[in-house]
Amino acid sequence: MLYLVGLGLGDAKDITVKGLEVVRRAKWVFLEAYTSILTCGKDALEEFYGREVILADRDMVEQESDAIFKDAKEEDIAFLVVGDPFGATTHSDLVLRAIELDIPYKVIHNASIMNAVGCCGLQLYNFGETVSVVFWTDDWKPDSYYDKIAANREKGWHTLCLLDIKVKEQSIENLMKGRKIYEPPRYMTVKQAAEQFLEIVQKKKEQGAEKQAIEEDTICVGLARIGTDTQQIAAGTLTQLAETDMGGPLHSLVIPGHMHPLEIDMLRHFAIDRESFDTSVHVEE
Amino acid sequence: MVHFTVDQIREVMDKKKNIRNMSVIAHVDHGKSTLTDSLVSKAGIIASQKAGETRFTDTRKDEQERCITIKSTAISLFYELDEKDMEFVPNDGKEGPNERGFLINLIDSPGHVDFSSEVTAALRVTDGALVVVDCVSGVCVQTETVLRQAISERIKPVLFMNKMDRALLELQLEKEDLYQNFARTVENVNVIVATYADEDGPMGNIMVSPEKGTVGFGSGLHGWAFTLKQFGELYSNKFKIDLHKMMKRLWGDQFFNGKKWQKTGGEGFMRGFNKFVLDPIYQVFTAIMNFKKDETTKLLEKLEVKLTHEEKGLEGKPLLKVAMRKWLPAGEALLQMICTHLPSPVTAQKYRMELLYEGPHDDEAALGIKNCDASAPLMMYVSKMVPTTDKGRFYAFGRVFSGKVGTGQKVRIMGPNFIPGKKEDLYVKPIQRTILMMGRYIEPIEDVPCGNIVGLVGVDQFLVKTGTLTTFQDAHNLRVMKFSVSPVVRVAVEPKNPSELPKLVEGLKRLAKSDPMVQCIIEESGEHIVAGAGELHLEICLKDLEEDHAGIPIKKSDPVVSYRETVEEQSEITCLSKSPNKHNRLFMRAQPLTEGIAEDIDRGDITPRDDAKARARKLADEYGWDVGEARKIWCFGPDTNGPNMLVDCTKGVQYLSEIKDSVVAGFQWASKEGVLCEENMRAVRFDIHDVTLHADAIHRGGGQIIPTARRCLYACQLTAKPRILEPIYQVEIQCPQDSTGGIYSCMNKRRGHVTEENQIIGTPQVVVKAYLPVMESFGFTADLRSQTGGKAFPQCVFDHWKILPGDPFEEGSMPGVVVTNTRKRKGLNEGVPPLDKYLDKM
Repeated sequence: MLYLVGLGLGDAKDITVKGLEVVRRAKWVFLEAYTSILTCGKDALEEFYGREVILADRDMVEQESDAIFKDAKEEDIAFLVVGDPFGATTHSDLVLRAIELDIPYKVIHNASIMNAVGCCGLQLYNFGETVSVVFWTDDWKPDSYYDKIAANREKGWHTLCLLDIKVKEQSIENLMKGRKIYEPPRYMTVKQAAEQFLEIVQKKKEQGAEKQAIEEDTICVGLARIGTDTQQIAAGTLTQLAETDMGGPLHSLVIPGHMHPLEIDMLRHFAIDRESFDTSVHVEE
Repeated sequence: MVHFTVDQIREVMDKKKNIRNMSVIAHVDHGKSTLTDSLVSKAGIIASQKAGETRFTDTRKDEQERCITIKSTAISLFYELDEKDMEFVPNDGKEGPNERGFLINLIDSPGHVDFSSEVTAALRVTDGALVVVDCVSGVCVQTETVLRQAISERIKPVLFMNKMDRALLELQLEKEDLYQNFARTVENVNVIVATYADEDGPMGNIMVSPEKGTVGFGSGLHGWAFTLKQFGELYSNKFKIDLHKMMKRLWGDQFFNGKKWQKTGGEGFMRGFNKFVLDPIYQVFTAIMNFKKDETTKLLEKLEVKLTHEEKGLEGKPLLKVAMRKWLPAGEALLQMICTHLPSPVTAQKYRMELLYEGPHDDEAALGIKNCDASAPLMMYVSKMVPTTDKGRFYAFGRVFSGKVGTGQKVRIMGPNFIPGKKEDLYVKPIQRTILMMGRYIEPIEDVPCGNIVGLVGVDQFLVKTGTLTTFQDAHNLRVMKFSVSPVVRVAVEPKNPSELPKLVEGLKRLAKSDPMVQCIIEESGEHIVAGAGELHLEICLKDLEEDHAGIPIKKSDPVVSYRETVEEQSEITCLSKSPNKHNRLFMRAQPLTEGIAEDIDRGDITPRDDAKARARKLADEYGWDVGEARKIWCFGPDTNGPNMLVDCTKGVQYLSEIKDSVVAGFQWASKEGVLCEENMRAVRFDIHDVTLHADAIHRGGGQIIPTARRCLYACQLTAKPRILEPIYQVEIQCPQDSTGGIYSCMNKRRGHVTEENQIIGTPQVVVKAYLPVMESFGFTADLRSQTGGKAFPQCVFDHWKILPGDPFEEGSMPGVVVTNTRKRKGLNEGVPPLDKYLDKM
């Protein structure tokens, strides 16, 4: 049996009781370590579970899944995913491959940023399509997520922006040469994302777009390390967020759509500067 | 004879209208270097009596032993034109040159095809070319190659018919036969000129014509030469005709019977050229060679040739040499022709700028070049590296196109990969020393203004082979040179003593610097590869490597040829490959690129920089492409300009532009290393038919798309009947008629085939042209010599790529062996990877 176990967002203790039982009895325990990270390390997990945990990087999950499936027909295998197995990252491909090989599977859910984001006060019912904001390179600057945010806001929906993480990526040169040399991990911060948005806004203005989906003074919400003890939420204009340091990873950004008064009241508690928050919110309405 | 000090030269350098930068180009053995020596002797660097016996410009020992030029050499000459000849110098701009002294920077370059990259480098820094042709054998393959290159670089040619002594002494040609030989050569040269240059092009009419004085005749070996101007002057006084009119009479169908001129021959009429030019020469030859003392003395008196007492004692050939040299000194005639008919930098840079400069044609650098302005920012092109006597260091040799370059000046050194606004391949360093390069000698000089050729010390460590030097912050590169030959022959080298590997690596670096063409590559397998244009080129490179650059004994493998991978048909299925996360799917097909396009890309007639619409039109009109598809060519490859194309044939795929760069990167990769044996691909067109993408940008980044694109392209290649292309030489062989049997048997053994066999008129020699696979050419020269009793000399030039017949998957077939051996050499897994490694199921 292949168990896909969600680990939640915070630390080792966020695992569910049911999940922990599976981990303790499984023959092998794999930890998917490239789409998200737990703020505590792998060692803390091993200590808490009392089990050896095998790190599964992108290559292993995407290209060498046989290693994961090897004993799955007869034995229990736990595949740990930070957050929820079908949350921000969908592991449907892994499940499909398991089905193809006649391997039974079960999913043990947990909290994901997709639902924990509710903590900032914006109601989950009002979220539209989720987007990812990727690290730009010198010649690769996709901004298609801007269109999606625009579409969400058009309908009054909030947008959850997942920020890029590069845990074990090869540079293009190393990829071409087939060298397994990996770049140091990088995590996009709210500050970086906000800067990137400002650049897009600037570009769109230069292209002569009349009405912007977002402006420099659009209220946005930065979230950091949600689910941990050090979690941090900051609401402010895009410009303000571009100047705010929110500490260590992982970060997410929310761009609110139309807000219910209750949502505004809640969000105000996290405002970087209440006065400007109120004027900006007022302007928007 | 002129002796000049550096200060005097420096003074002339400022008179840019009195500068002539020129190369001497020719087919091998047509006598360039010997001729150059007679020019040098005139300029006073070596003694006049030694001209013709020492090859001044062949500075290397092996050059003197083999009697061929390997490296191009630059020399500065100084010549004062007579007052009366000044009117012939074209008056460009407001003021023409009013000084009579001319500084001539001359570059003697090799004639053997294997070294034509040296010619390319020479042409880049010069504005004019003296094309030397053996008047007996006429225009040969290398003459054509270099002339074509010269014209495409906008270098103005003048012609010199060399080896007249041979025509007269050995072949004893009749006057009319000799005239016909000359006429045919002039015509052949002009055919080439007309093919590659328009009469109303930027250079104007650059056809050579004897009656205008742009063709010289003579013998470099004997040190005599003339143009029709010399003879024209002689007779214009006598007949009281205008010089220009007289010169017209001396060429073409102009016949004279002692009283009147007419356009057709007839009873008593004789061709002007034969009567007035050849006749006196023939008389001198006959008199001297038949030892008719009295007649000789009379003749020489008439020609106002004064011999010294000693010389009067000579007879036969030595006397002939002396007499002819005194009568028609080669230096005089040639230098006159050069000064009057080749352009000054001021004239030439006006029309050369747009070809030279990659940046906008109206920025400071462009204007500086166009106006040859010494006060503009510096723009200099380094065309090659010349080894110094100090081992391991090089002088950077090049031409200043704008501004001045001087000792201590801080400059931007930009390599060929420099992109304006970026920092790659860019150094800002001071120049240690500027020097003048004169054959074997160098002289330090304070600074050098635009229009001149110069050597630099201390730049070699920042440039691999070539580059641009500038003081202008926003300068773009001067365009890199395009070589007419490619490095198709390669050997692997290793030190005899393995512990000396570091010396070898260092030596290879130096070798790469010292030769504009040679490539030194390290394969994945760790092998060191040296690639050159041909067997001789490689031989010289390896000798240099062993003796100079590395200084250690080396082992070399048998030479191997580089191949190309291509496809013969369209992919039988649309190939699908999925990204590692399975969310992105690419659907593509491969097909052969329409015949002729690959060659057009090689020549630069179709380039990635063309205007997309104009290119689409060309592809549609000339090659029958669908205009819509032709407009959506994503890129060329490998190296973004190679002869393969990636075409977007999708319809309405959202966010396709976001993955374009990744697919292009995958295509560059795949086209550089094909699936069969990781050789470059050639003439393959890949069409993207459909793309399915993950909704979110993060899941379709380079890491997902680049490897997928490559896999998909490989699947396409495998399903489209992949084939191996091998390089084919065109071989030109000159030999006596009775030796042709040996050529045919030699060709048959080596899969070659003869395409043409022509007799050289008036001689028992024939010229045989043939195609020969490069693979079969190793040892060909030696074999041919032994088969023909040493009478046949081949010249091999790379000509085209041809499919190596057979299926590369069939064991033991020729392409199969090539694939197996290449994979083995590169340290790849045995056998071509199976299709299912690259092709995914739906």
